[in-house]
Amino acid sequence: MRIDGTHKKWLVASLIILSVATTVYVLYASNSVTGPRGGSAIGLTFGIIGSAFMIFSGLLAARKKVEVWRLGRAQSWMRGHLWLGFLSLPMILFHGGFKFGGPLTAVLMVLLILVVASGVFGAALQHYLPKVMTSEVPFETIFEQIDHVRAQLLAEADELIARASAPLKLVAAAPSGDLAATADSVLAADDALAPLRTFYTREMRPFLENSGERKQPLADAERARGIFDGLRRLLPAGTHETANNLEEICEEERQLRRQVRLHHLLHDWLMLHIPLSFALLLLGCVHAVMALRF
Amino acid sequence: MSALIELTIEGRKISVPIGTTVFDAARLNGIPIPTLCHQQNETPVGVCRVCVVDVGARVLTASCIRPVESGMVVSTASEKVQRARGTLVELLMSDHPSPCARQQHSGDCELETLAKRHNISQPRFSRRTTSRGKDVSSPSITVDFDACILCDRCIRGCSEIRENFVLGRMGKGSIAGIAFDDNLPMGNSSCVSCGECMVSCPTGALTNKGVAQTALGAGPGFEPVGLDELKQLSFFQGVSGTFLSLNRGAIVRRNFKRGEMICREGEYGSTAFYILEGKARVSISSPMAHVKTIGRLKRFLGKLSSRLAEREQDKRAEETEQQWIPIDAPVDLAYENPVADLGPGDLFGEMTCMSLYPRSATVRAATDCTVLEMLRNVLDIMQRSKNFRAQLDKSYRQRALDTHLRAVPVFAGLTDEFIESLREKVELIRYSPGQVICHQGDPADSFYLVRIGFVKVSQAHLGGDMVLAYLSRGDYFGETGLLAGDVRTATCSALDHVELVRMGADDFNRMIEQFPDVRQKLKAVEQDRAEMNQARLSLTRSVPLDSFLQQGLMEAQSLLLLDLDNCTRCDACVRACADAHDGITRLVREGLRFDHYLVATSCRQCLDPLCMVGCPVGSIRRRNSLEVIIEDWCIGCGLCAENCPYGNINLHPFDVMVEDPENPGRKKAAVKQKATSCDLCTNYAEPSCVYACPHDAAHRVDPRKFFAGLIGQGQAKT
Repeated sequence: MRIDGTHKKWLVASLIILSVATTVYVLYASNSVTGPRGGSAIGLTFGIIGSAFMIFSGLLAARKKVEVWRLGRAQSWMRGHLWLGFLSLPMILFHGGFKFGGPLTAVLMVLLILVVASGVFGAALQHYLPKVMTSEVPFETIFEQIDHVRAQLLAEADELIARASAPLKLVAAAPSGDLAATADSVLAADDALAPLRTFYTREMRPFLENSGERKQPLADAERARGIFDGLRRLLPAGTHETANNLEEICEEERQLRRQVRLHHLLHDWLMLHIPLSFALLLLGCVHAVMALRF
Repeated sequence: MSALIELTIEGRKISVPIGTTVFDAARLNGIPIPTLCHQQNETPVGVCRVCVVDVGARVLTASCIRPVESGMVVSTASEKVQRARGTLVELLMSDHPSPCARQQHSGDCELETLAKRHNISQPRFSRRTTSRGKDVSSPSITVDFDACILCDRCIRGCSEIRENFVLGRMGKGSIAGIAFDDNLPMGNSSCVSCGECMVSCPTGALTNKGVAQTALGAGPGFEPVGLDELKQLSFFQGVSGTFLSLNRGAIVRRNFKRGEMICREGEYGSTAFYILEGKARVSISSPMAHVKTIGRLKRFLGKLSSRLAEREQDKRAEETEQQWIPIDAPVDLAYENPVADLGPGDLFGEMTCMSLYPRSATVRAATDCTVLEMLRNVLDIMQRSKNFRAQLDKSYRQRALDTHLRAVPVFAGLTDEFIESLREKVELIRYSPGQVICHQGDPADSFYLVRIGFVKVSQAHLGGDMVLAYLSRGDYFGETGLLAGDVRTATCSALDHVELVRMGADDFNRMIEQFPDVRQKLKAVEQDRAEMNQARLSLTRSVPLDSFLQQGLMEAQSLLLLDLDNCTRCDACVRACADAHDGITRLVREGLRFDHYLVATSCRQCLDPLCMVGCPVGSIRRRNSLEVIIEDWCIGCGLCAENCPYGNINLHPFDVMVEDPENPGRKKAAVKQKATSCDLCTNYAEPSCVYACPHDAAHRVDPRKFFAGLIGQGQAKT
C-alpha cells in the first residue's frame, strides 16, 4: 500500500499513541524502584496493548480470506495493519523494559523485530514498486499468463523470420530464363539474409526460450540496441522492418522479465513475513499463558 | 444443305460445310485440338489462342475462329505448333495458382491438365507478386480471381446461355478481370446463382462452395432427396438443374417422430429447415429470468450469491414491457408462455443458416414431421427463387405480420382492420451484409421493421461516423424522417443477411393519422433517441483527449479503475468478484491504460456495442442511459460474451428444473446459462472488488468527474 497523504489520520493517531505511551513509560521507568518490568501493572498494560496490536495485524490474513464480508473496507484493515503493527514494537519494548529476558522472550523479541522489519521493508517495496512497474513495464500482462505470452512472442518471431525468408523461395521457384543469373540472385539474396538468420538462431531465439538466463546480451536494453543497429547495417533495407519488429519482441521479452522480477520483489517478502508473524503470535500466546500461570 | 469445302487436316482429306471453323472441322473428324476459351455452346472468341494450328500462313492461327478454306492444309500438332501452344500454356500457368481449388478438389482443371500434357510443372516466367483476391460473398460460388485466365467462358455462359447479363469484364492489362454488375461483390450483385458460370469455367476461378463445404451427412431421420424429386417441389421450379445437381448433398429430407428434437436453442448450426409435412413446436426452455446478485445476512457476513429473478420480481430501471420474444422463425414467442407451432410451408433457422448465429429456440416435432434441411448455398438460391419468395412472403403476411407488428410495444394498439389493410401493401426486402439500406440525407420515403438480421444505424459527424444503435428483429427505423416529413437523419446498413418489412410513406402516414397514440408513442421514442444521441455527441465533442475518446471511456457511466501506482497486483479484487458471484468473476485485471490507471474489464457501455450484434433472441439491449441490460429471455448461447472485445460479459450457470420432453408433464434438473455483466454488487454501497482492495487501488468512478482534471475540465476527484 502506498503511504501517502491519505494516511495522515493514521500517522497523527499513531504519533499520539506513541507519545502518550513514551511519556507513560518514561514516567513509569524513572519512578519504578525495581526498574520497568513486564509483570507490573503498567508493563502488563503495554504487553496487552502490544499483543492486541499484533493480533489485529495478524487478523488481516483472516480478513483477506472473506473478502466480500462487510467487516470494514480491506484498505482500512491494511492501514490498521501497517500502523498498529508498527506500534506493537515500541509497546512490546515498553512492556519488556527494553530487555530481552529469558530464552522465550528473547526469541519473541527477535521475532517481533524481524516481523516489523520485514513488514517495513515490504511496505517500502509496495510503496515504490507499483509505480516502477507501471512506468517500466507498459506491456505488463497478468502474471499467470506470462508463459503464454512468451510462447506467443516466440511464435511471432519465428513467423517473422520465415516470412523474411519467403521471397527467396519464390525467386528460387520461378527462375526467369537465365538459370545461372537466377541462381546467382538467389544466392546473393540468401547471403544478404544470412546475418539475420544467424543472429536469430544464435542470439535471439535462445534469449526468448531461456527466460531465466540473465547474462544474454539481449537482456540488456543498451546492448540490444547496439546489436540491432549493427544488424540493420548488415541487412538490405527491405528487411529493416523485420529487424525492427524483432527488436520490439526483444523489448517485450525484457519487460516481461522485468515484470517477473518486480512481481517477485512485491510479493516474495511475504514468504518471510507471514510465517514469522504466525510464529510470533503462537509463541506470544505461549508466553502469555506461561507468564500468567507462573 | 450448304456447299462442302475440302481441306487437309493432319494429312487427312476431309469435307466440311462452308463456314465451319477449323476447330469444328477437326473435331467432327475425330482430330483433337486442345482449347481453353472455347465451348461448343458458346460463341468462339479466340482469346486463349491455345487452339493454334498451322495453316501454312505467315503466323499460326486460332482454329476456333478461323473458317475453313478450300484446299487448306492444317497441321494441328507439328513441332512448331506444339512449341507455341506449350509457351502459351506456360504463360497462362505463370499467372495461375497451382493447384487451384478445382484441381485440388476434383483434379480436372483444364489448364493444369493441359500443362501436364506439355510437361510444364514450373513456368519459366516470374509470377505475379500481388494477389488479385477472392470474392466469397456469394453463399454458393467462390470466385478466385488469381485462378482466372480471362477466357470469358463464364461471361458468355451468363449472357448467351442464361441471358442473365450479370458478368462482364472490368479493367485493362494486368488488372483486367471478370466483374459482377458494376463490379459488385458477387453476393451483392443481381446474380441468381444459376451456376452456369461455374460450370463454364475451365479452371478453379469459379467453384461451387458445396465442393468445399461439408455436405449434410446422415443424421436423425436422414433421407437423401433426388434431383427429380426436388424439381417437383414448387419452390424449386426455376432453380438451375446444374446448381441442384452440384449441391446434391446440401439438402436432405429428415423425418422426425412426434417429440423428436429438430434443433436445440443455443447450439451453433449452419442449416435451415423447411417444413414439408406435419407440425413442429418451437419453444424456449431457458427460464424467463435474469441474473440478480443478492446478499445473505445483508451488510455483515453477507456472502453474496446470484439467483434468477423474473422481471415481475425484480423490476430494473427501464425494464422493457415487451411481451413477445423475437426468434429465428416466422413466429414470435409470448413472454408468458414461450411456445408456438410451425406448420407446412414454414421456414426456420434462416439466421443460423445465413449468418451462423446460434439457434434461437428449441424445435421439436409436434406430430410426425417431415422437413427439408439445407445448407446456406441452397437457402440462398431458394430465397432468390421467385416462387419461394412469393410463398414466404404470403406466409409472412398471413401468419406473422400481425404478431410481428404487435410485438413492438408502440404498435400494440393497431386494430385488426388496419393490419388487414397493410397485409398486401408491406414489402419484404432482403439486404446482403454491408449493403446500405438508406443514406443519411436521402428523402424519407419508407418505414422499416427488422424481420431478420442486424442493422447498424450510424450518423456522420466531423471526425467520423458515430454508431447510434444496432437494431435486430422487432426493432424499427425510418420513423424520424417520416414524422418530420424530411430526410433521413442516419445511415442504416445491413450487418449480416437482413430482411426488412418495408411500409411506404403513404401507409405510414395513414397509420399515424388513424392512430394518434401510435404517433405520440413514436414521437416519444424519437425524442428519447434524439436526446440520447445529442448527449453522446456533446460528450464526444467536449473532450479534447483523443486517447480518452479512442478508448471509449467517455461512453462509460461507471468505470472500474485500478490505480497502477497503488496496485500491488495481488488480485484481491478479482477474487472478491468471484466470491461475490458464485465463483465466476466478472472482472479481469487487464485492459486499456489511461494515464496511470488501468481500465479493468468490466462492462463500460461502449460507443460501438458489438455485444448486441448477433443475439438470436434480441435479449441484450441498451437502456436510454446507455447501460446494457440483458432481458429475461436470454438463452445463454454465449454469443454476446464472444462478441464483447473486452470480455466483459460472462455466462453464469444455474441449476433449474425444465420440462422433460421424454416424460411430458414432468420436470427434470438441468443446467442453464444466463449472460451477465458487472452488476456493481447493487445490494451493497460499494462493489466487492473495490471493498476488498487492501491497497486503495480499485475505484468505481464516473469517468467524466474522475478524469475532469486530466481532460481540462476541472479537478480530478474520486
